[in-house]
Amino acid sequence: MLSRRQLLAASPTLPLFLTMSGCKGPAVLSAPPTVSTQTQTLLRAVTAELNLIWIYNKAMASYSGLAATLAPLRAEHEAHLTQLRNRVIEPPGKRVPDTVTAKPAVGATSGAALIQLRTAEQAAVTTMMSRLNGASPSLAQLYASIAASEATHVSVLSARIGAR
Amino acid sequence: MTAASASVAALQGALAAEHAAVYGYGVVGAMLTGTRQASAHTDWTAHQVARDTLVTMLTRLGATPVAASPAYELPFGVTNAKSAAKLAAALEDGVTRAYLGLVAVSNPALRTFAAQAMQTSANRALTWSGTTTAFPGMPT
Repeated sequence: MLSRRQLLAASPTLPLFLTMSGCKGPAVLSAPPTVSTQTQTLLRAVTAELNLIWIYNKAMASYSGLAATLAPLRAEHEAHLTQLRNRVIEPPGKRVPDTVTAKPAVGATSGAALIQLRTAEQAAVTTMMSRLNGASPSLAQLYASIAASEATHVSVLSARIGAR
Repeated sequence: MTAASASVAALQGALAAEHAAVYGYGVVGAMLTGTRQASAHTDWTAHQVARDTLVTMLTRLGATPVAASPAYELPFGVTNAKSAAKLAAALEDGVTRAYLGLVAVSNPALRTFAAQAMQTSANRALTWSGTTTAFPGMPT
């Protein structure tokens, strides 16, 4: 293996090229584009919404009697997803997540499915609250609003569970 | 505007909304009976507690809490139980919007406080209106 000194000696024009190009060397050139912590959090929020929508879809496909209750809630999650995706502005050209990462088995009964959805909504509220700090003011407001929406979903699902 | 003055302004906005809710629930309760009136009374009390909490927070920050207005103009006529429930939902929407403003401040504790308050008011709005919204507090 050539040492750095040997490499430079073998290529007298390399130092000049590096200086003129402003290049600091291969390590910098090969580094992946950095994604801010705020954007990483936002991308995780997008994935979380995709996962929630997937559970709703599975529950509705399995238990058609729940459709009237679940369809409006799923529609609101789809609206959340759209707004979250619209907030992703970096890194340029990066594809916003569109893949579901968690596919749990849907509850064995419609009642179990409702409880499963309520648990998922409660967890979503907690997670969304944890995203507030470190977010820009407008993004924090979006997270807080979505958390409030999800908190109402918990109430709707609880009422449906209680009515059974 | 400094971070401290922004926090005070947003807290004053939330307090003004709580003052309005306390007034408004008086109108709501007068049009209801039975369990619905009891629910209105519970919510009226909760808004009084929230109002007092905000007054304490502002005082600790060295600010003078905004006072309640002598009277408030209702957004529509309240003449029966149905319009009373509609007013209650509107009051809760107003409170949710005010707390959304407080979420925008940089203080982490205030952000969390406001976001939790939004969940409470959004759920009260659900109770009165019977419907959910995708983005409680956000401009439509």
